This record gives sequence, C-alpha cells and structure tokens, in this order.
Amino acid sequence: MPGELSRAAAIIGAAEANEIGYPATPKTALQLHIEAIKNVSEQTGIPISRIDGVFSAGWSSQLAEHLGLHPKYIDTTSVGGCSFEMHVHHALAAIHAGIIEVALISHGENGWSARATGGRGTGRPRGAPDPWDPGQQFQQIYGVSGAPSNYAHAMTRHNHRFGSTPEDFAHIAVVTRQWAMLNPRAIMFSKETNPGGGPITVEDVQNSRVVAWPLTLLHCCLVTDYGGAVLVASPEVARSVKTKPVWIAGAGESMGHANMLEMEDFTATSAAASAAAAYRMAGMGPEDMEMAMIYDSFTITAGITAEMLGLAPRGEGFLLWKDGRAAPGGKFPINTNGGGLSFNHSGMYGMQLLVEAYRQLSRTAEDGVTGLPGKQVDARSCIVNGTGGSLSTTGTLILVAD
Amino acid sequence: MAYTKPIPEPDPVNRVFWEGAKAGKLMLPRCTTCNRVHWYPRLLCPFCHSRELEWVEGSGEGRIHTFAVQHRAFGGWAEEVPFVTAYIDLKEGDRMFTVLRGVDPTKPESIRIGAKVRVEFEQASDEVSIPFWRVVEE
Repeated sequence: MPGELSRAAAIIGAAEANEIGYPATPKTALQLHIEAIKNVSEQTGIPISRIDGVFSAGWSSQLAEHLGLHPKYIDTTSVGGCSFEMHVHHALAAIHAGIIEVALISHGENGWSARATGGRGTGRPRGAPDPWDPGQQFQQIYGVSGAPSNYAHAMTRHNHRFGSTPEDFAHIAVVTRQWAMLNPRAIMFSKETNPGGGPITVEDVQNSRVVAWPLTLLHCCLVTDYGGAVLVASPEVARSVKTKPVWIAGAGESMGHANMLEMEDFTATSAAASAAAAYRMAGMGPEDMEMAMIYDSFTITAGITAEMLGLAPRGEGFLLWKDGRAAPGGKFPINTNGGGLSFNHSGMYGMQLLVEAYRQLSRTAEDGVTGLPGKQVDARSCIVNGTGGSLSTTGTLILVAD
Repeated sequence: MAYTKPIPEPDPVNRVFWEGAKAGKLMLPRCTTCNRVHWYPRLLCPFCHSRELEWVEGSGEGRIHTFAVQHRAFGGWAEEVPFVTAYIDLKEGDRMFTVLRGVDPTKPESIRIGAKVRVEFEQASDEVSIPFWRVVEE
C-alpha cells in the first residue's frame, strides 16, 4: 500500500537553459539557472512570483534574491549530483505539510565555460581546500584528483568480486551513445555536430585514452554547461496548469560515506536504501518500473546502481545494456537522453535526470517542451536515481505518468 | 631529493599519527570501549560512539582491497604518472588509502587484490613523513 506522501505532489514542468552543452561564448552558472527558471515559468504558466519554496544545490539565497522572492521554505542541500532528487523528496514533504504550494528546484553549472574563464562564474569559492580536512590529509596527498581517479577503484573491485570485465561495462557507453544519437541536444549526437560524436563500439571504448585504469575516456562522463529547472506543486496547483503533471509516487534518500576512504563495499551504494524507501512509499517494486534514469557519471556508476535498484541481480547490472534491454527499441529503456556519458554532464547531473524523466512521462519528449526534441518512449513509470560524491550519496524517485 | 608532492598538515585530531609516522611507526586510533581500530582518526568511535579512544602502534601489515592506475594527476604527482593507488585492509581492521609500491603500473593485470603489503614511510619534510604501502609477496 502506498505511503502517506505518495502522490502528494507532482512535477508540473521541466525546462532547460536557452543554450546547454558547449556554448559559443562562456556563460555563468547564474545565467544557466535564470534562463531555465524563466523557461519553466513560461512553460507552466506559473508566474515566478508564485514560487514559495526555493531548492538548489548551494544557490538558494542568491536565486531568491535575484528573483526578488521571499520564500517560505529554503533548501540548499548540496551533496553532489543526487542533490536534485533529494530536493524533490524535501519539496514533496514540505508541500504535503502545507508549508508551500509551488517549489522551484533549479540547477545551473558552467562546467564547460569555467574552463575558459579560469573558474569564474561557478558560484563556488576559488580558494585552496582546507588542509585539515581528512580527505586532504589522507587521500588527496596521494595524487588522486577528480572523480575518475576515485571511481576506478570501484570498477576493479566489481571485476574482482563478480568476474565482470571493463568490456562488459563498455556496453553501457555504447548503448547510451545510441540514445544520444536520437537527441539533437546531446553533445555526442553525430559526427557532424561533434568530431567525437556518432556511433561507438566496445573496441572504441576500450581503445580510448586511459584516464584512471580500468577507466578509459569513454567510460567517463562529459564536462559541459547545463541549466535546468523543475516546478513541484500540490495536486490542486497541478490540476490548474496547462502542462501535464508527473506524479511523485515514491522518494527516498541515503548516504554511505562522504569520503571514499569510508566506502565499506566498493560494489554497492546507498541506492539500495534510498530505492527501498522510494519503493515502499510508492507501494511499487522494480517489476513495476517501465524505464529508468540512472546517473552515469561513469559506466561503473550506472552498472552498480542498476543492481542497487533491484533492476538486475548483484554483479549483473551491466547485462541490461549488454543484452540490449536498455537500448532504443529495447524492453526497458535506460537513460533516454543519452546520459551523462553522451548527452550532457555539467558536474552535477541530477537535474538532467529529472528533466528527461518529466519529458518522457509527460509525453513531451518528441516535440520538446521548449523546442527541444528527443526520442519519446512509451513508459508510464520511471525510476530516477542520482548518485553524488564518490559513490557517496543517493536520491531515488519513482515517477508516474498522470 | 626534495619531496615535490602535497605534504599533509597535522591537525589537533591526528597529531599523534603524524608524530608516529615521523618515527617510523604506524599509529592507529582504537576505541577502549569496543576495542575496534578505526581509520581515519575521529573524535568519537565511529562504531560505538564512545569518546574513550587511545593510540596503538599497528603491525604495519595489510592486504590490497582494490586499486587503480592513475594516468592523470596534478602538481608534483603529474610527473609520476602512471602510478598505482590502492585501498589497504589493515590487519587491525578498517582501511587506508595509499600509493602502492613494488608494483608495475604498466601491468595492472599482474597486481593481485588480496596481496600482502607492508607500510613504509617517506620523509617529505623535517616535520612530516608519509606512509606508503609496498607489496611484499607475489
């Protein structure tokens, strides 16, 4: 039986910034936020002034000030790429409690542009990290830097424990690229739009440059710009707008660790716990899911997460891609936008997951909600899982069509 | 030769560990309530939340839990790529991170999860020596 919070709120719109990916001229993170917010307001017909809750990964006071809002609920949870799934969870609870009616969840990140501006416009401090941070003292001193250097250790352990291979995981990159080739907004849409774009093979993935063995470049996500915004609203508001609601049937969040030093099992994440909570709230199980949006910072992230969500047996998550079930035309579509691997990944990718899940379940993926076409699938339920940090934190949502 | 890579800065919580490292000892925090060793050093035992902690000298022995080969790094480490990073299961329990020694980073398939390793210390400055782990068996 569904829990009390199930379907207590809906996502009523999802939009992107005017320009995402690799913009011709550098953009700031704030620009990407504001463009997406204005677009979702126009899409739904909800005036910005009607927003009474502001949710973002570290930006909420700046956003509210920029928009001249005086929100009743402010949440700026920033725990990596799953923050946005957690924001939906928190907004659901705040709406159910009657504190707010319309929650804005916003993301703006200039992962690509920041390279051209020496790190300006990111909204993050540019100073050196705290030398007394345990991660600095006991991990960073050994030369690891950035996500690939950490996540590679999980691939090695999965291969050791389950007898899987990097080639098995390369299928995830190959299939995800096939989805990107159906999405003109994807960085890797075609060879014409990007020299690295178009179809790839397992051999291409394995022969690409080694970043952190066993991860080669094509096992790793992109670094792009992205702005995205969704509105979460009460059932009353959801019934009054011109866009279709996508119901939040279940939500859950959890974390395993902050620093990879504390990761107990390198082949498992807290998605098992966050998904269990989401399924419980929804009164549904993995067998009820018709598609999935799974954070794919790396192929290993997606493979492990599929196992944690109960979509595949332990050790066999990659088979969903390898045997074609997750591919275009397959029985169980996964990452229909082309993923963080081939569509867009700004640094924190959880918003991209939400926007695509809304587009699919509201049946607006084909035409595009703001003139942004893509491939429509016929799923009526979608499990969305964000992963943040170094396989650290997770937020899971179960979304269903109206 | 001067140590060109990042040098950790001892803080009030872990000063004893770094004093030990300077003397060639692997000092580990242990809870006197539940007797478990933990890593990294805490203010409360992460297992039973007791505040009764002590430092004990570890055996300096462990096994490889998992590893990766870093082909991209920044600062002083950039000059050493490729190098092997690893998580080490300590004989006393819990896990440390390190750069592995005694292995060939161009032949990752020759590195074995579960292989025995032993700690050694490299002097990085007058004040700080850094633990590294070396594979001691085939």
